[in-house]
Amino acid sequence: MHTEHKVDDPPTMHDVDSPGAMFLVFLVVLGLAVANILLATTGLGKLALPVQLGIASVQAVLVAYYWMHMRRGDQVVTLSALSSLFFVFIFYVLVLSDVLTRWRIAM
Amino acid sequence: MSANHHGEVLKHHFDNLEQQHAAERLGMWFFLVTEVLFFSGLFVAYTVYRNWYPAEFAFASSHLILWIAGVNTGLLITSSLTMTLAIRSAQLGDRRALIRHLLATFVLGAGFLGFKALEYYTDINERFVPGVMFRTELAKAEEELAASHGAAGHHGTAQHWAADLAKNNAGKSYTDPGYISPGRVQLFLCFYYIMTGIHGIHILVGLGCILWLVQQAAAGKIPRENYSTVEVVSLYWHLVDMIWLFLMPLLYLAGAGTHAAGH
Amino acid sequence: MSIIVADEPRVGPVPPEPAPLKTNYLNARSGILSWLLTVDHKRIGILYLVSLTAFFVVGGLAAGLVRINLLSPTGAIMTEDQYNRMFTAHGVVMLFLFLIPSIPAVFGNFFVPMMIGAKDLAFPKLNLASWYVYMIGAGFMVWSVLAGGIDTGWTLYPPYSSRYSQSNVFPGAFGAFITGFSSIMTGLNIMVTVHKMRCPGMTWGRLPLFIWAMYATSFIQLLGTPVVAITLTLLCVERLAGIGIFDPAIGGDPVLYQHLFWFYSHPAVYIMIVPGMGVISETITCFSRKNIFGYKAVAWSSVGIAVVGFLVWAHHMFVAGISYYSAILFSFLTMLVAVPSAIKVFNWTATLYRGSITFQAPMLFTLAFLVLFTVGGVTGLFLATLGTDIHLHDTYFVVAHFHFVMVGGMVLAYLAALHYWWPKMTGRMYSDFWSRASATIIFVGFFFTFVPQFVLGYHGMPRRYPNYPAEFQVYNVLSTAGASILGFGYLLPGFYLTLSLFFGDKATANPWSATGLEWQTPSPPSTFNFDRTPVVVCGPYEYAIGVDQLGRGLPEPPGPGSADDPASHHGPTGPAGPMHKETHVVG
Repeated sequence: MHTEHKVDDPPTMHDVDSPGAMFLVFLVVLGLAVANILLATTGLGKLALPVQLGIASVQAVLVAYYWMHMRRGDQVVTLSALSSLFFVFIFYVLVLSDVLTRWRIAM
Repeated sequence: MSANHHGEVLKHHFDNLEQQHAAERLGMWFFLVTEVLFFSGLFVAYTVYRNWYPAEFAFASSHLILWIAGVNTGLLITSSLTMTLAIRSAQLGDRRALIRHLLATFVLGAGFLGFKALEYYTDINERFVPGVMFRTELAKAEEELAASHGAAGHHGTAQHWAADLAKNNAGKSYTDPGYISPGRVQLFLCFYYIMTGIHGIHILVGLGCILWLVQQAAAGKIPRENYSTVEVVSLYWHLVDMIWLFLMPLLYLAGAGTHAAGH
Repeated sequence: MSIIVADEPRVGPVPPEPAPLKTNYLNARSGILSWLLTVDHKRIGILYLVSLTAFFVVGGLAAGLVRINLLSPTGAIMTEDQYNRMFTAHGVVMLFLFLIPSIPAVFGNFFVPMMIGAKDLAFPKLNLASWYVYMIGAGFMVWSVLAGGIDTGWTLYPPYSSRYSQSNVFPGAFGAFITGFSSIMTGLNIMVTVHKMRCPGMTWGRLPLFIWAMYATSFIQLLGTPVVAITLTLLCVERLAGIGIFDPAIGGDPVLYQHLFWFYSHPAVYIMIVPGMGVISETITCFSRKNIFGYKAVAWSSVGIAVVGFLVWAHHMFVAGISYYSAILFSFLTMLVAVPSAIKVFNWTATLYRGSITFQAPMLFTLAFLVLFTVGGVTGLFLATLGTDIHLHDTYFVVAHFHFVMVGGMVLAYLAALHYWWPKMTGRMYSDFWSRASATIIFVGFFFTFVPQFVLGYHGMPRRYPNYPAEFQVYNVLSTAGASILGFGYLLPGFYLTLSLFFGDKATANPWSATGLEWQTPSPPSTFNFDRTPVVVCGPYEYAIGVDQLGRGLPEPPGPGSADDPASHHGPTGPAGPMHKETHVVG
């Protein structure tokens, strides 16, 4: 799937995607989307949300890694992607630290 | 690397093309970071309210049009594929394939917006819009229900939202279990319209960029050395796709947990 | 210090000052369009300088009117409603149109490429676009002010701003939304530039600390600004549609708005102050003739502030009804952010120790910054403490605290930067006497304005109130008197800097004998900054090795044994030599 980068190659060539790999990723992502919708009709109960978000995350990772070329491993790109996730994580945790422990009238 | 193209492609303040491409890519990645944080505000707010009002979110979600969401998901994923193939064509210097793939992406993205418009149209026709429309439609449904009281069994399962809501809440006060607050259903609808609306605007911007790429490619301004222009737009397009992959289950499948539990 | 390396060492007389350029970035092209359509980062910096100055005057006038009104316990000149609109105008204009863009947009644009040896920022057109976006956003805000102003306070809390306000919330909020994009564009540009455009030898460990600070600031801008953008979008939707997700009538939570708002707006205070800290690191080394004490500590504390600054926002909400557990957590996290700030102050102080200090205007502003910022920072700890905050929340204590940081810290750092780099930007020297006088007057006026407010706040006078008990009048009069001194102090630079453009002596390439790369170019620099790509061989603050010589854009380093050999104590520019400090300032 990953073409080896040789120093002699023109720099535009080493990262040309192979169509087969791209189609494979396509089929997996599309399959997961279909699975997501079908699973919702089966009634997963409490598991529904984690399963749905888990599937979406797998799809997102595939898109980012293959289609957005994170597999090329540019450190700054990886770092910025991870830091955006880190700060979203902080955002969630600290807002929920208030919301989930706040005193509310039970209704 | 052929040096003769560089004069046209390399901007004056960069030392070489490698640097220029890296800067462009990095700039787009940093922009994507801002996009992720932009949407995260919506996702956090959604999480808070879904945590507080699960029944209302499930109710409202199950009255959205799932098949359109499914078709749109397929369209977007496919458009991401054609976008990736467009980069490949650009890297190989195949101008005609590049334009073909870009146009395919454009058509798929426009198809997404078309279905989205159909969906909005249907929702508005059903008065499934927070605010005055929602309140009057619900009041009407409640009156009808009261009028037809005693005339049992005139409804199937797939129903108009207002009739469903009126039936569910008939005879219940807001403290009773199983009561579905109309206000909070509207809260979900606010999220639905704002999230899909902002996502739709992003698609629209993406379509504009793709058209611009087509024009550039047709004018021969995207030689092989400059393929990163396509790549930069593709990064944006993939991110918008990725955000949809999260929006779809959160908005359309939120009722999944409660369906089997029976309501 | 940065040296342009040659093939072999040169032994010989002191190299001459590079001749001033016939065509520099200012006169390379002329006409109004050459400014409005420029993509030169230096000219865009000047565009920002002019527009920011205008908005600073507007915000300052609003502040003046607020202070005048507070002369009397019942309000001297305004109705209560007008007072609300006035302090909101002051807050909105000063924060969104002055403090947030200030140093990044003016000095970041102008000097980041020059300090890292680049020809321009990575995306020159985006840079110009950021100025236009800023002006469009500013236009919306001016519209909201001219149409009668906003009465909600700059924080625009719903449901007051959404349902109940009678004022022009929409254009104000939309203007803030738009200027946010300008801030993102500048930040993105600077981050990419620092990553990809450094000249050979400019490693991360040799970056000037101003660049580290700008990098950290841009990092906050990229991560924080989009969140306030979505928050303001949601607010605008709610205001226009009459229904939205913060609307308590349908189960929405107004406190959630505060979470989303402060997730950006607290880090935004670090967007305001961290660039100032970067400036201080430059000036304090230059006017102490010393290397910075603890380079790595100062550099990483900028990044530390950027990260920890995101963890503390809910201390703005301790009395807004958030959960007790969360409040305790945020109180603790807030105290953590004092650590990197304190690291910086201690390192700057250590830099001063045994330095060869001179007191030109930039240094006076810097020293004033050190004092005032420290007071502002330490009083911040009072407010971080949950118990004391319940007493002090939303009082004048808070007002005094953040003005010590924002005005005493940031505005003075801005003025330090302006005075430090003015010769480079304009090619002219300003009046030494008047600049020192203005620094002193501002410092004194500032103290008189804001120290009484600590007392007022501690005794319970709430912020944003037009009326107060008669026994508070003496402090309010003191504060207003101080504000008029402060205002006079601000006017002075307007005069002598403008006069210097026409009558000031021509500045040499390196009037402060500073070591940064930007001083190796002529004053004012050419459009592309450097004739040749510079090569950096050592750290940014090598004042200890007699480098006045090398910081002048010289093509070659001095040879061993020559008069300007770094080892020579008595060379013309050595510490004991006759020209050891060539700071030439006209009085």
